[in-house]
Amino acid sequence: MTSYDHRSHGIGVGKVDQFESVFRAAVKTRFEYSAVQVESVLVVSDRDERGAAEFGDRVRTRLAVLKRGENIRWRIVHGGEYDSVPALLELVEAERPGLICTYRHLHSDSWQWPYTLGEYIDVLTQVTSTPIMVVPHPERQPEVGAVRGTKVVMAMTDHVMGDHALVNWAARFTAEGGRLVLSNVEDASALDRFIEAVGRIPSIDTDSTRVAIVDRLERDARDFMQSCSEEIVRAALPISVESMVAHGHHLTEYSRLVEEHEADLLVMHTKDEDQLAMHGLAYPLAIEVRSVPLLLL
Amino acid sequence: MTSPVLAVVTPQAAEHVASDIPLSITLLFAAILVALIVSLALEEKLHAKKSLIVGLYAIMSLLLGAILLPLPYGPYLIGGHEMSMPVYIPAIDWGVITIIFGASLFVDVTSRSGLFTWIAIRLTKASSGDPVRLLWLYGLMTVVFSAVLNNVTAMIIVGSLTAVSLDKLKRSDKLLGFLLVEGLLTNIGGLLTLISSVPNIIVGTAADISFVAFFYRASPFVVVTTVATLLLGAKLFGLVGLADEDARAEARSLVAGFDENDGIESRGFFWFGAAMLVLFIVAIATTSVMPFVSDLGMGFVAMAFAVVMLIRYKNDVDQFYRAVDWDLLGFFAALFVVINVMEHAQVLALIGQGVERVVDLGPTLGTGAVMVATAAFSSVTDNIPLAAMLAKIISGMPLAEGVVRPPTDPLWWAVIFGANLGGNITPIGSASTLVAVTIIHKHGLRLSFGGFVRKALPFALMQIAIAVLYLLWVF
Repeated sequence: MTSYDHRSHGIGVGKVDQFESVFRAAVKTRFEYSAVQVESVLVVSDRDERGAAEFGDRVRTRLAVLKRGENIRWRIVHGGEYDSVPALLELVEAERPGLICTYRHLHSDSWQWPYTLGEYIDVLTQVTSTPIMVVPHPERQPEVGAVRGTKVVMAMTDHVMGDHALVNWAARFTAEGGRLVLSNVEDASALDRFIEAVGRIPSIDTDSTRVAIVDRLERDARDFMQSCSEEIVRAALPISVESMVAHGHHLTEYSRLVEEHEADLLVMHTKDEDQLAMHGLAYPLAIEVRSVPLLLL
Repeated sequence: MTSPVLAVVTPQAAEHVASDIPLSITLLFAAILVALIVSLALEEKLHAKKSLIVGLYAIMSLLLGAILLPLPYGPYLIGGHEMSMPVYIPAIDWGVITIIFGASLFVDVTSRSGLFTWIAIRLTKASSGDPVRLLWLYGLMTVVFSAVLNNVTAMIIVGSLTAVSLDKLKRSDKLLGFLLVEGLLTNIGGLLTLISSVPNIIVGTAADISFVAFFYRASPFVVVTTVATLLLGAKLFGLVGLADEDARAEARSLVAGFDENDGIESRGFFWFGAAMLVLFIVAIATTSVMPFVSDLGMGFVAMAFAVVMLIRYKNDVDQFYRAVDWDLLGFFAALFVVINVMEHAQVLALIGQGVERVVDLGPTLGTGAVMVATAAFSSVTDNIPLAAMLAKIISGMPLAEGVVRPPTDPLWWAVIFGANLGGNITPIGSASTLVAVTIIHKHGLRLSFGGFVRKALPFALMQIAIAVLYLLWVF
């Protein structure tokens, strides 16, 4: 690099960066609505045929929203049809469903211990691209009484901006007249780690940096959620949209939000492009929140 | 029009300008001036700020001047009162310094209202994402911003928007062409008004050209050259309109994602900023005819508007003071000191003899030669000392005994056009083209010094040719 280059890199760089930031902030990612089509549902149980059929009925009742404008093909799988993860994967491959519906700890008694999802769901969520709906274990939920529908559906993420699929799926599963709650919780511990590093850099003002980052993250999320609301109204979906933006401890915040909104279904991503395991946010949430059905994308 | 202080001080000081300085001493100071110009040309190799380079030469000139020259130490007669002050204080043209200080502060505070980014994004949307329309709208915006604000700020605003919007439109391959054309247009826009560039302020102040007269004389050239530059830019950088409706629809949807209101913190301050900007332009344009204000000058107007805008940030004004380009102001102050010493050492008179020979070539050849020579010098060295020096020299070249050159004299305009357009030949010819190169490099594009000259030369030659024709035809 010549000295000319050195000089040119020094002229007005700060101001250029400042204005580029202003213009980048002005570029808004707008939500793109696209109707989610679910043509077939594979209901997987580890019960016998009768138990599986009863479970299937409850799922069908819970997912009454899927009847909206579609003729769904239901396939109920009972416990005798598979005895291992590979066998279940073969079944899924053969059926190629639009949605898999099951519960934690298939062919296992470990459902009583809230530490894992069980090997079947662990593998299914990562191997198949099909969304999986995880409902509370039949042993956990009484077989009698009214099955709740999906009047309140909560889309959960730590980065909602540009996540069209998450919102589209959540909108699809929100019952007519129901509420779609879009929630974005930024992880405070991750932010704290960066701010701690900033606190050791004399040239950066720590307090104003924290405020600016939190403000920017929350504003981006709100702007995107606003566009979600506008597009859903434009698409004439019979649902209402609410937005929740916060930052704090993921599990604590989400547990609070689920309880506060009495959510009937939680929708979240489970695929993590960088690792062969469930998304960092989804796994602990899926473990922790056991009484509310989850839709894992 | 000279600044009020100088207007009073100069006659008193002029008595001290001795005409019997030995040639050897004049040549010694001429060598110092040449060394200063060379140092500024090699600024990038020295890795030193302009204010420091010129500051060192100012100290050296003053010390040698104190030893070898009869410097006018005062006391100075100001408003009928004798006042004592260091010799380097009245040497500085405070009128120029206050215009630059006030205007840059005003623009900086006004930009916080989100006004400029709002305009920039609205124009982006108006282009519908079509590359050719985008070039035209950004080009026009560059010219107007350069004229109203200053060319560096204009380049920063338009250049950074260009980078973001072309990225959004997936047209980053055209970034270099866009930025180059915009960089070149900053120096065209810099010719539109009296306060658009520093050489305009310096020469216009020395020639007593009013804001309106400047605009009236320069605007036809700016319009013609802007159109010619944009046409040539679109052709040389292969910009064509979007071919089919699908591409147009996609581009429209991409630019629709821009939210012009995002940068507006307060709607009230936004409108206040817009109103103040209009008032600022009107006030600057009418300073010379406004009672009382005309006595205080454009520097007062600029600083008054800056102070009023600062009220919005009354608890945080220090952040704006920190953002002032003190290097530029220090550079001017030191430069005026050096030139003042050179005047007393008869160096300017010596150069003036050379300029006179060029002028004596005739109204056509002489004026054209002054313009081309000014452009050539401006391309390799700073155009500000050149403009300051030539303004001083031309001031000392009356048309006839006791007949000063009028504001319409083509010689003034030859310096103004040459000093501005010379900046388009090389990347170091003006600060705004250097900003364009900064943005080009920031985005990973390679452009060497020679590469810039190769790409910019057709534009610069065309612009200088138009300027020569315009100068000879109109003046």
